[in-house]
Order: sequence, then structure tokens, then C-alpha cells
Amino acid sequence: MKDECRKMKTKLPHFSSLCFIAVITFLYAPLLVLMGNSFNKSKYGGTWEGFTWQWYERLWKDDATIEALLHSLEIGACATLGATILGTLAAWCLHRYSSPLQRVHLLLTEVPLAVPDIWLGVAMQLFFVSVGWQLGFGTVIAAHITFCLCYVTAVMLGRLQSFDFQIIDAARDLGATNWQVAWRIVLPVLLPGIVASALLAFILSLDDFVITFFVSGPGASTLPSRVFAMAKTSRNLPVINALSTILTLGTFAIAILGHRLMKKA
Amino acid sequence: MKRLSLLLALALPLFGKDELHLYTWADYIKPELVEKFESEHNCKVVIDTFDSNETMYAKIRAGAAGYDVIVPSSYLVRLLTAQDLVMPLDHAKLPNLKNIDPEVLAKVYDKEMKHAVPYAMSYTVLAYRKDKVKDPIASWAIFDQATYHKKTSLLNDMRETLGAALKFLGHSVNTRDEAQLAAARDVVIGWKKHIAKFDNEQYKSAIDSGEFVLVQGYSGDLFQVVSENDKVGILLPKEGLVVSCDELLIPKGAPQPDLAHKWINFVLDPEVAAENMEWMGFLCPNKPGIAKAPAEFLENPAVNIPADIIAKSEAIEDLGEDLAKYTKVWDEVKAAK
Amino acid sequence: MKNPRAQSLLTAPSFLWMLVLFAWPAAHLFLMAFKPADVNGGVGEGWTLDAWRVFAEQGYWAVIWRTVWITLVTTTLCIAIALPVAWRICRATPKWQPWLMLLVVLPFWTSFLVRVYAWRVLLAASGPMASILKSLGLMSEDAMLLYNLPAVVLVMVYMELPMAVLPIYAAMEKFDPALLDAAHDLGATRWQSFFKIVLPSIKRGIIAAALLVGIPSLGMYVVPEMIGGVDGEMLGSKIGQRLFSDRNLPQAAALASALALLSMPAVLMAVRKKDEG
Repeated sequence: MKDECRKMKTKLPHFSSLCFIAVITFLYAPLLVLMGNSFNKSKYGGTWEGFTWQWYERLWKDDATIEALLHSLEIGACATLGATILGTLAAWCLHRYSSPLQRVHLLLTEVPLAVPDIWLGVAMQLFFVSVGWQLGFGTVIAAHITFCLCYVTAVMLGRLQSFDFQIIDAARDLGATNWQVAWRIVLPVLLPGIVASALLAFILSLDDFVITFFVSGPGASTLPSRVFAMAKTSRNLPVINALSTILTLGTFAIAILGHRLMKKA
Repeated sequence: MKRLSLLLALALPLFGKDELHLYTWADYIKPELVEKFESEHNCKVVIDTFDSNETMYAKIRAGAAGYDVIVPSSYLVRLLTAQDLVMPLDHAKLPNLKNIDPEVLAKVYDKEMKHAVPYAMSYTVLAYRKDKVKDPIASWAIFDQATYHKKTSLLNDMRETLGAALKFLGHSVNTRDEAQLAAARDVVIGWKKHIAKFDNEQYKSAIDSGEFVLVQGYSGDLFQVVSENDKVGILLPKEGLVVSCDELLIPKGAPQPDLAHKWINFVLDPEVAAENMEWMGFLCPNKPGIAKAPAEFLENPAVNIPADIIAKSEAIEDLGEDLAKYTKVWDEVKAAK
Repeated sequence: MKNPRAQSLLTAPSFLWMLVLFAWPAAHLFLMAFKPADVNGGVGEGWTLDAWRVFAEQGYWAVIWRTVWITLVTTTLCIAIALPVAWRICRATPKWQPWLMLLVVLPFWTSFLVRVYAWRVLLAASGPMASILKSLGLMSEDAMLLYNLPAVVLVMVYMELPMAVLPIYAAMEKFDPALLDAAHDLGATRWQSFFKIVLPSIKRGIIAAALLVGIPSLGMYVVPEMIGGVDGEMLGSKIGQRLFSDRNLPQAAALASALALLSMPAVLMAVRKKDEG
């Protein structure tokens, strides 16, 4: 009986290991093909026609793309700042207090996560138009802060589960003011979580396409919009592969960094 | 070095030169000409692109200010001027207006160029793979054939595709007759059985790579494919084509109206127009410009449309309220199995 | 101890932001659906139910049904695949688990558009997938991997899979493997223990996964446009069409609101369960 049990137990891991490997292959294959094709001389990637840097060279010379990259970084930085501050505050309140106000607060920060991008994009565009806020840099940043905020809140709420509030009480007993408690005790403890959610917000802002598409205006093109625009012309098709490779590797680097910081916490 | 200075320039917006913001179709102006304008007028040109007139129109209506020149198709000119979204042109600043072909002017809405100047002509044509399609028939009926099952595409544009069906049936592409529209709908539903998809952008690379063997597309885009790939040929349906003229307008509230006028005058210059035409693949209605264009360009099948087909070709006009009739029919096309 | 003024002060920034930039636009969009369409693309004066009448048309229900159907298939596939994957991660040593999880989630953090585009390249007739299948004789010369429903489902599963793995893993982590041993001792087969013991205890995770996959799937717009063929129109594409080419804002608003309303009950249910749990 015991041997059969052991055999049964070992069968399960093998099946799940196979699944895991198959899924990882499935998840990474298209990205690897894309990255490989960015060095492929062939225009359509069907066959390997030789190694080349030419698509990257063309990318580097493409002013519009460099501009879009800078815009994406600027928008990302502003959105991250706003979302992290607001989101951390929100998570703190949601965790610390419970009242009807907080229940509404929770809904406000959770429901946006559940609605499709296109809905958010349309709603925000119509809103900006109706209040006369011109579509452009400002509206994109505002929109990005809105949805990034919700993610930051969700992550920080998770972090706060393991926060020991007795430290605050102890500090108060020792005579610390509210400000001192906030800056010298709470913030340092939460810092890894805050940084990790900031990185998450940055990635989300960098990669967003649908919402940006609806709320952007003149001169506010971002990298994903640039990819979309480039996909429309067949002149430089493989350049998209190069751009996508850079975007992907950049995202990977930031995500891994964020992960290591989360682990430290 | 240029890269570095560009990066620095973007990081220090305070020292910016004047900026000209264009809102136009993708690949609609030769980059070298943009640079020429930039150095001649000591400014920076920023180009934003749109892929459909309606997207552009929605953004302009929504108040996306900051654009100095927009390039919509001519059927929107009536709408834009009626809604007071564009500013009148100062002809004193546009000496090159005399270069515009009067025959083309006779066909557009704004014949006196009070607000709009014709920029380029685009025809919706068919392209096919010479190696895969033997003896193609020069008619819209080619889509009836099941031979090229799932290797063809039609434009995902209700006016263009319904327009093709209407032309095939011998009606006007601007008809408001519901019976004619219903007939056109049935024709497209028949075509739909054999196409792979309705598509506006991917058809170019698809015909180039051979993924599709027959596509409906815009002449300028296909011009470029044809000149680079000799396996691709242009087919002009004998029933006539849908013609579109894109025009230059200056939106109200443009930050740089002066520079905008300079830009319009610049692209109307015959030498600039000739160089631009050759690069874009679209014909500019600029008489002296055409005279300067290389013969090779003018003889390209995507540019050189025979007079008898031009005579049967029609421009898309704004339909006002009757647009809803087309929407309804198009929905039915999309929903049909 | 808990200062009410402090609560209001601290809650205000995020609360007001979301109120102004989310709740108000949401309400505004909903109200738009009750206005008449202006021929020039705006909205006219007064109120009307015109935009909602479209739901009386047969064609719409076909699109809605197709959207729901594709969503159900995608969600089911994602959960089915996520279960063994999450199980494998749980069985790894605790040191490795976060890294294995990261490995699964990382592709999700790349740009949405990049991933769809990568599949277009992969599945194109002149692409690597087709070349391999044709050389193996599994595919005829003229067949196409793209522009059909299975391709759309495939790519949607690809897009959403990591979002299914996350909550299922989180729920599985809390599962006590000793229960399985006990079941084995009592004579249960592998599958019996899985369905009767494991699944019920990670029910919350599965529901979360269903929502995280299902809701974005309902609103999917880019995937059917780029990967789908003539039979793959989903609600998202219709909304885009109304907005961009038909100049019918109220109808776009009505359709978008219908989309949101479809997802809302499920979300509220989940939020409430979280409060209770």
C-alpha cells in the first residue's frame, strides 16, 4: 500500500512538470522568435537569411521613435510618481480604517481593474472632452495615474497584511509625533513594497496602448503608439521587431529588479 | 552627433525652435523634404499620423488643439468647414496655389480653396500576385471567384467596400437609395465567403509576402509594393474606381498659422511636389509638378490610370444623415455568415 | 486613537482622484448612451432610448453571443492550463517558487501590442510556424494559420494565461498537502483526490482567475482585429467601429456600457466575498 502511494505521489509531479515546461515554451516562443527575427535579414521572418544589425540601425536613426521613447519615459515617470503616492496612501487608509467611506474607497480602487481597457479609454476621452481638457501629455499622464493607482493599491494592500502596527503604538508611547512615525518608521518598512509597486506602475504605463490611444493628442506619442503606427507601413516592418525586442528586454530588466526588491521585504 | 543633439533638444524644451505640428496619413511626406523645410525655416516639424479620417475627425472635434496642418480626405472638408473647425487660408501667403490642376479643383467641394488645398489623389485599386493568379479579370467580379479562397482581402472601410460593390452593380458610390444599398450588401456578403479578412493595413505586407494573392488597397501604398516586388501587379476594375483627394487644411486655433501657410506653399512647389510624388506613390494635382516628375513614376500602373477608368471613377462624398443607411448595411455584412 | 480627521485627510487624495477621473467618466459614459446621435459625430439635445434599440437587432446578439462564447472558451482553457502549472510551482522548494512565478508572469509584463504582433509573425503564412508544419507535411501549401477563430482563442489564451496562474497559485499555496496523503491512505485515486479535495479548497482562486481572464477577454479589441478573420468580430471591435467610423457616440456608449454591465455583477460578487473571507 505504501509503495503504491509513493508511486501515485511521484506521478503527479511529473505530469505537472511537463505542463510547466510546455507552458513556459508556449509563453516564450513567440517572444524569442520576434527577438531572433530582429536580427534576421529577411523581411518577413519565414527563413533565416543572415545576421544583421540593420534594423537596429534604422531604429536608431528614426527620430519619431526616439521621440516616442522619450515621451514614454517622461509619461512613465510622472505617472509612476502620482500613482505610487496616491496608491500607497489609499492602501494605508483601506487597511487601517474600516468604515462606509472605506468601502466606497475600495470599490473606487478595485472596479477599474475589472473593466476592459477600451471602456476606460472611451470614458476618459469623453470626459476630458466634456470638461474642455485638451488631449495631450497631461491627459495621458492623468489617465495613466488613474489605472496605475489601482495596481499600486492592490499590491500595497497585500504588503500591509504583514505590517505590524504595534511598532507605531510603541513609537507613540516613546513620544514620537505623527510625522516622525510616518517618515522614520512606516515609510522605511514599506519602502521595498513601495519601490516594487512603483516599478509595476512604470511598466504598466510604458506598455499601455489602448487607453493611451484614446486620450493622447498632438505630440504625445508613446512607444506602443509608435509600434502601432509602424505596423501600418510595410516599409520598415522588421524595425518593429527591433523596437519590440528593446521594449521587451527593458521590461524584463525592470520586472526582475522589482522582484528582487520585493523578495528582500 | 545629430542623435545627441536631438536628445538634448527634447530634454530642454525651453530653447525650442518653432514647432510645426502635422496630422496626416502615414508615409505621406518624404522625410528628406521635411528636413529641407526644417532647415529653410529654422523650425522643427512634428508629424502625428492617423489611420482613418474618422479617427482624425473625432480627435479634432474633441478639441485636440495643437495641430497646425491636417490632411483629411476631401469628403470631410464640407463637415469641417460647416462645424467651423478650420481657418480660412490667406491666399497672399500661398503663391503656389496657381499650380493646382483646375480639373481636379472642379471636382472638389472647396473649389476656390478658401479653406482647403488639394494635396494628393488616391485611387482604390486591386493588386494581385502575378505568380499565383493567372489571367485575372479586370473587374470587381474577381472577388466572386472561389479560386483564391481565403487568400484575398477587402478593405475594412464601409464606404470603400460597399462603394466597390455599388460600382460593380453600376450605381453611384454616394447613393442614398436603400434598394441599391441592399443589393450591394448582398454582393459583399457573397464576396465575404472567400476573403480571409477585411483589412486596412496588413494587406500591403500580405501581398508582398504572398500570404494573400489578391487585395483591395490604396494606389499609393501598392505603388511602393509594386516598385519593389515585380511579382505584384495592379488590376484596375473596368467598372470604375473609388477616388479620394486628400486636402490640406489649417485647424482653428493652430499655434503656428504662419508656419502652416509656409508649409502648404512649400509642398505646392513643383520641384518639391515632383520629389514627394515619386516617394509617396500618390499623384499630386500639381500641373508643373507632374511635368517635372520622372517618366518611370508616371508610367507606374498604380499612378497611370487610363482615362476611361478615371471617367468612371467617383469620389466619396459626405452623406450627412444618410450615413446611417450605410452603417446599417455594413453591420449586416459583418454579421452575415 | 483613530483620529477621524486624519482618516478623511489621508483618504481624500486617492478618493477624490478616483471619483473625478473614474466615477465621473463612468457615469458620463453611461449617460451618453441616452442621448441622440448628432449627424456630425457628437450628441444632440434631449434624451432618448434610440441607442439602446440596437439591441433589438439580431446582428448584435450574434456578436454578443460570439464574444461571450470566445470568453468562456478562453477562460476555461486558461484555468485548465493554470491548474497543473500552479501545482508544479507549489511543489517546488520555497526558494524557487517566486522565481518560477516570475518566469510565468514575465511575458505578461511586455507590451500588449508586442505580444499580439509576435503571434502575427509566428503564425503568418511565410512565418516559421507555417514553414515547419509544411515541411512536416502537416499543412497544405495554401492553408492559413491566421484569420480564423481558433487563432483568436489561441492568442487570447496566450495573453491571459499568466493572470490565471497568479490567483490559482496564491490559493494553492495555502493548501495543505497532508490532506492529499490522507486521501491516498483512504484509497482515493489521483483524480478523485484532485477533484474532490484540491479543487473545492482553491475555489476562491479559481473564481478570481475566471474574473481576471474573463473580463479583459470580453472587451478584447486588438486581438480579433489583428488575428481574426471575417467570422471573428467581437463586441470590442463593434465599439471601435461605432466610435471611429460610424460617428455614433451614443451607440458606442451603449455598447460599452453593456460590456461594463456584463462584467459588473461578477466583480461586485467577488469584492463582497473578499470582504467576508
